[in-house]
Amino acid sequence: MHETNKEWLPGFDKKFAELTHQMVKDLEKCLQCGKCTGQCPAAKLSSYNPREIIRDLRMGNVEKVISSHELWLCFFCSGCYAVCPRDINFPFAVSMLRYAALAQGYGWEEVKKIKDPYAQDYYSTGLSVNVNERNLGVRKEIAKNSGTDGRIETVRRKMGLPPKRRVSERAMSEIKFIADATGMTDLFKEINKKKAKEKKWNYGSPADMVKVKKGANQKFIDVEDEEKEKIC
Amino acid sequence: MPRQEVLEKTKLSDRMFLFKPCVGSNKYPGLITASIEFCRKLGIELVTSDDQTCCGGFLTFTNVAQPTSTMPAVARNIAVAEEMGLDILTLCNGCHTFLTEFSHFMNDRPPVKNVVNVILSMIGREYKGSQDIYHSLEIIYKLKERIRANVTRSLSAMRFATHYGCHYLNGFKKTALDDPHMPTIMEELIEAMGGEIAEYGENRTCCGTGLTQIIINKEDLSLPHTKMKLDNLNAAEPDAVVVVCPYCLAQVDRMQQKLNYRGSGKYRVPVIHLVQLVALALGVDMVKLGFEAHAISFKNFLKKFDSIHSKAGVHDG
Ligand code: SF4
Ligand code: SF4
Repeated sequence: MHETNKEWLPGFDKKFAELTHQMVKDLEKCLQCGKCTGQCPAAKLSSYNPREIIRDLRMGNVEKVISSHELWLCFFCSGCYAVCPRDINFPFAVSMLRYAALAQGYGWEEVKKIKDPYAQDYYSTGLSVNVNERNLGVRKEIAKNSGTDGRIETVRRKMGLPPKRRVSERAMSEIKFIADATGMTDLFKEINKKKAKEKKWNYGSPADMVKVKKGANQKFIDVEDEEKEKIC
Repeated sequence: MPRQEVLEKTKLSDRMFLFKPCVGSNKYPGLITASIEFCRKLGIELVTSDDQTCCGGFLTFTNVAQPTSTMPAVARNIAVAEEMGLDILTLCNGCHTFLTEFSHFMNDRPPVKNVVNVILSMIGREYKGSQDIYHSLEIIYKLKERIRANVTRSLSAMRFATHYGCHYLNGFKKTALDDPHMPTIMEELIEAMGGEIAEYGENRTCCGTGLTQIIINKEDLSLPHTKMKLDNLNAAEPDAVVVVCPYCLAQVDRMQQKLNYRGSGKYRVPVIHLVQLVALALGVDMVKLGFEAHAISFKNFLKKFDSIHSKAGVHDG
């Protein structure tokens, strides 16, 4: 779909400046040269287009951006920042725009996917990755390579390490205190129960949003995994 | 080419705080042991602490916690090292980014630093901003000549592809040790240890983890991207690919297993963190390298490595 300024809302950017911790304001410097999009891995595979998003933000179409599917496709690879002649740190802006989206009710289903294994592990063990290997395929490979049962605990023991990395009790009580005092604990609870608003905007057609879905990579989606896994 | 001014600013000390990465502890424990052992060989003692947790910055950039929550969590971890009076050595592009970005943010804004310290004072800690934070690439590059002089298991005739990852070079395009577009420091290091370079076109592209994409759009974005990178990498026929970030390691290692399992090709390139490679060349005990925790086997790699060494009559310590 072509870009449009139909949604132009005067003053929208100012209204959102606070929500986005003033990070989005650098976007005024954008030349619309498109170097960012040219090397963007997400743009290569989908209708995501950082230059176009910046254009929309500059025109005041903030609602369009924060209600879009595309806002959740960035890889945070910072490749755009590396090539940008105006040094715009776009992934920072994306992160802040995602907070703005959450404030308006969008994207809660996405952060729930992240919160469930990783943030929960951080909260209960102090580390965002635990030793349990949920992918049985990987465990089988490790078992073969190490001549053990394939559990990282076993491999760690073999290396003379405790079965899992230790985090002191003091550290645990300190990070819980920080989480409680700064609202992290409450935000986790909110993520659990919050019902997300449906995203409204697609830059491409919905079917096009992720082009690969339709084409050669179909088999990625068809094959069932051995077990629901978490890679790292 | 390294930036001379960054190289000059990099300080080597006899003792450093090893900032343990989550993935590098509970999935790839060899990163920790290899670092400690190779540094010991070069006269540097790495100290760790159980008071250190996950860096915490990850939660901000994945939008599950506000920066106002993670800033004190990050500052607390830095304070643990500061209390010991040690500079920090990170093994992960993510830890390095979050510790560095947040400490700059606090150092440049005294009111923010004060608020953070009000919270930290309640747990009996203080963030001062007094210690340096280094990426392992910076320290290892600084040690290049010492490494070259101490190689006991040369990497000669072994071909390595490099993968720098995104966050160190791209995110710090003006202050990192090398240029984000055509970096050479890892290649120089590999050559200093006797290894050869397998060049490939997609060297500078993301591994595909994409911070959150492996979780939120795995099938549509993350996996196809990794496959594209791997196909290009495979064509260069390296004996291994060298990374400097445990997240890249996990993605490139584990997604090869996944693609093999799904019948999407044959992917057999072992993935090795630079600290493991240095430890290998410096003759650290093989058990401490932790290759056994990797999904893609090092069997062929080690077979070739051993045969080169037995031919050359080199004794593997
Ligand atoms: S590279 Fe920078 S200046 Fe060019 S379009 Fe992208 S953000 Fe704008
Ligand atoms: S950080 Fe996001 S917008 Fe920038 S190049 Fe990477 S995926 Fe594209």
